[in-house]
Amino acid sequence: MKPPKTEELHTFVTHGDSRRAAEIFARLDPEVAADAFLGLPWEDQQTLFGHLSADFAAKLVPAFPYFHAFVLLHTLPLAQMIAIVDRMNPMELANFLDELPQEAWQQLTEEIKGAGAAATLARAPEPRAREWIIEARQVEKRFDRPGGDSIQVIAPLTLSIEPGMIVAVLGPSGSGKSTLLRMLTGLAQPSAGEVLWHGKPLAGPSPGAAIVFQSFALFPWLTVIENVEVPLVARGIAHEERHQRALKTLNSVGLKGFETAYPKELSGGMKQRVGFARALAVEPEVLFMDEPFSALDVLTAENLRGELLELWLEKKIPTRSIFLVTHNIEEAVLMADRILVLGRSPATIRADFRVPLPHPRERTSAEFLLYVDYIYKLMTQPQLEARLPQPGKPAYRPLPHARPASVAGLVELIQDRGGKEDLYKIADDLRMEVDDLLPVVEAAALLQFVKSERGDVENTGAGEAFAAADIESRKTLFREAAMAHVTLLQQIMRGLETKSDHAMPLEFFRDTLQKHFSDQEAERQIDTALNWGRYAGMFAYDSETETLHFETSETRDK
Amino acid sequence: MIRKLRSAGSLTADLPIALAGLAIFYGFIALAHYWTAPVHAQTQIDLSPSALPRYAMFSVARIAVAYFASLIFAIAYGYIAARHARAERLMIPLLDTLQSIPVLCFLPGVMLSMVALFPTTQFGLEIGSILLIFTGQVWNMAFSFYSSLKSIPREMREAADLYRLTRWQQFMQLELPFSAIGLIWNSMMSVAGGWFSLMVCEMFVLGDRDLRLPGLGSYLQTASNAGAMGPIVWGIFTMIAVIVLLDQLVWRPAIAWSEKFKFEQVEASETPGSFVLDFLRRSRLLSRISEATIVPLREALTLHFARRHGKQRAIARSPWPARMVFFAATGAILFAMAKMAALLTKLTTPELHGILIGAGATFVRVELTLLLAALWTIPVGVYIGLKPKLAALAQPLAQIAASVPAPALFPIVLLLLIRVGGGLGIASIVLLLLGTQWYILFNVIAGASAIPADLKEVCGVFHLSEFERWRKLLLPAIFPYLVTGFVTASGGAWNASIIAEYFKFRGETFSLTGLGAVISRATDAGNFPVLVGATIMISATVVTVNRLLWRRLYRLAASKYTLELT
Repeated sequence: MKPPKTEELHTFVTHGDSRRAAEIFARLDPEVAADAFLGLPWEDQQTLFGHLSADFAAKLVPAFPYFHAFVLLHTLPLAQMIAIVDRMNPMELANFLDELPQEAWQQLTEEIKGAGAAATLARAPEPRAREWIIEARQVEKRFDRPGGDSIQVIAPLTLSIEPGMIVAVLGPSGSGKSTLLRMLTGLAQPSAGEVLWHGKPLAGPSPGAAIVFQSFALFPWLTVIENVEVPLVARGIAHEERHQRALKTLNSVGLKGFETAYPKELSGGMKQRVGFARALAVEPEVLFMDEPFSALDVLTAENLRGELLELWLEKKIPTRSIFLVTHNIEEAVLMADRILVLGRSPATIRADFRVPLPHPRERTSAEFLLYVDYIYKLMTQPQLEARLPQPGKPAYRPLPHARPASVAGLVELIQDRGGKEDLYKIADDLRMEVDDLLPVVEAAALLQFVKSERGDVENTGAGEAFAAADIESRKTLFREAAMAHVTLLQQIMRGLETKSDHAMPLEFFRDTLQKHFSDQEAERQIDTALNWGRYAGMFAYDSETETLHFETSETRDK
Repeated sequence: MIRKLRSAGSLTADLPIALAGLAIFYGFIALAHYWTAPVHAQTQIDLSPSALPRYAMFSVARIAVAYFASLIFAIAYGYIAARHARAERLMIPLLDTLQSIPVLCFLPGVMLSMVALFPTTQFGLEIGSILLIFTGQVWNMAFSFYSSLKSIPREMREAADLYRLTRWQQFMQLELPFSAIGLIWNSMMSVAGGWFSLMVCEMFVLGDRDLRLPGLGSYLQTASNAGAMGPIVWGIFTMIAVIVLLDQLVWRPAIAWSEKFKFEQVEASETPGSFVLDFLRRSRLLSRISEATIVPLREALTLHFARRHGKQRAIARSPWPARMVFFAATGAILFAMAKMAALLTKLTTPELHGILIGAGATFVRVELTLLLAALWTIPVGVYIGLKPKLAALAQPLAQIAASVPAPALFPIVLLLLIRVGGGLGIASIVLLLLGTQWYILFNVIAGASAIPADLKEVCGVFHLSEFERWRKLLLPAIFPYLVTGFVTASGGAWNASIIAEYFKFRGETFSLTGLGAVISRATDAGNFPVLVGATIMISATVVTVNRLLWRRLYRLAASKYTLELT
């Protein structure tokens, strides 16, 4: 049987005819049903899930992503939830429990025993018609290279922003998050495709958008209130009204009394409040935030996040949607109703899911950790979807930008923890942002010192040997691993071997790399390759002449 | 209590300001009267000291008018170059070339056309002189404004775009404030350059015509032609007094005021102050005038542009006017090139030899000067820079010494040297030194005082010998600063060679083999082919030396010898 149309199901659910929709579902194959189900808005999913028979729900649950199944189950009364879990195929239940992080798994078993209290989740709000503020249709971004080539930064990507939501975009550094944000606001033009605001294509920056910048981007020569007035001046609003509006906004972000201060007299957190006030003063329809808390210390950032959430949840600001770019996984799970995870070079949407947890969210709760763990898994899994091969260009695997010493540190740490550890725990213990940690994990995985799977990292045999080795033998092990697995270093070594004087200009490799990467990225690739090669004693590099050559034989053979 | 103090302060502040306003008004009337008077065939320069205040006023007015013209031109030029990628490709190399041409090379062209335009009034000569001063001031200001605009952080630009600031608002609230500090420092340098070339710009021989304008420059030149020691000293004294006064009344307040445009995230602990600025800020009269005029005017203008901008957004502008300007400019340049080439074919072989040999001689002279300057400024600069207290003491003194335009001192130097038996050969190098050594000294002092204390301690801990200390720490640490100093000094020396190699003193003309002398002689004689040939030569040499030598050293300094550890 053909899968039902999403729109059709949506109509049934919104017209109170969920039973009929449930019947249509019950006749489908569970895999097909799960796909159709996940295409529905979250509110519909909740309603519909409650109307499914426990038998059919038990078949459907294993086809959902585990974190989604967990949250969905918890929207039901405890008895109904237990009924579904009881009817699940034991093999599938074991798999499901296995996938859950420890905290979630514990909570679920306790609930089934009847000891735990059922998680309280928000009841479904009134279903409403779907409406998009922004639609991006097949937008992509390429940067032209001098040779007529171009480098794709963002692959054709389709995305809609609906009102009433905080959307967070996560992704490794250099994945084009900020470029995406700039295309949605109209600051940057997509190379192809189009961005629509309320169905109309954008020409130039959208009047409904405001941005809070990472670097604050305040005018240092203007006072706090003059800074907030800047966008109002541009709209031709006269002095008196401008002043009143700016004052009101400043009050709402807690800057009363600072009107005549200059930005440089303020702390980082206060400066970002000015940034918020300037953005909110124009009463934007969508508030864009480009890593707004990254330049702040941990406590200040936490405080500001809380205050922003409060303004948003209590509807003290007229903003209809918030678009947050971040590399902080916990920040995304803490704030967002919907999370997009981007993949790298070129950027694609790897995952797009709802976070239907009620506010305020508890960082230590099982549900919270469920999402954090899931995102770690997503980001550490090698990108499965094959990149479109570009004609004449073999795929080139980029080097992760990690220092050899960091790789050694990671492998040692995992060895100390018994050879295996959850990634988010490592990040938490080391107080490292995922952005900083991921390249290290990728590097260790590339060298096959560790295996990274489902958010866990595990030392391989080679990793154990590396962790146990002394400084000198580590270099040997690193060299062997690099020669076996790192294309760029293999190329360099082969190149040096074929030359009679065993020396090559760096320019040669730079040219090769520039065919695959942007100039900046090519430079970073070179830096990392030099760093690794020098650490492993594979070659020496003379920065004055920009040439690579073999280590002299006596130092190398020692 | 505070309010009382303020109002008492503002009363004492308002009176001098009102008087200064009246004085400036009288000055304008006097100037207007003089400028519209019929042309004098031969202005007589009065060598009595009592004439000096009047001459000083004329010179200051000339430099001021030239400066404001430069400021407007520099802002327009930099703005267009930074905003239009196509224009940029043409305008920036052009700026590089124009910057390398000495003021004197512009003289015949400018003067002849101005006298032709206004044959009956003093106005033509005046405009010509002002244009000459302008050509010496404008280029570095244009370049400073352009590079400031180019270095505005991306997120600031994006904020301006996103909030749809009008061009006017972007200019007033982002671009002008962001470039203010660079513009002010370059303005100071430009005006100093104006004083440097004042003697050339106020009095010159053009073919068979001897043209002079009343002013400090012509006073000094007339005095030195006559070999009158008394007036020379009086003239130099007046010039120094005017320069110091301008520094205190204009530049110091301007620098202190521009502090607020510093693009920094945290407040600096020490900021330059100026008592004049404090004085002006306390004045109630000024703040009332500003509240009644500037503030409402600014508001009205800004709102006017914002509202018009909102209406006009939809209308696309035709690219044709911009294209027409572009084609016209290209056409004009091509025409001028063709004319110049035709002129160059008239060069005789001996003249060509003269230019080539002159270029070689001046090159040697300039490099020798730089070497001599480095020899004394490096040890002295490092010594001063390593001692903060001494640096605080020496800096203002050195600044006053540096502000004295070398050509003004030239007659005295020449007189002394002739007395002890030296000739123009040595005198010219002394003059070049006087004009250029300060750039190197200031930069070395700045470099030495920026050496971190822990690096100095390392030298102590490991008992490095004095030689090792220089080789391992001091020279590498000051290297980037030294290069900056050399670049400025080298440009200045080429420019000064024109005055240093050809000088009229006590009715005689002293002249050396050199490109500067070739240019001066060609100007005097109205020999246009030689003038054009020599100008191309000097410009080509300066640009080539910059590209081949200084830019490379610059890059080396930036990559290897910076004191950043990241």
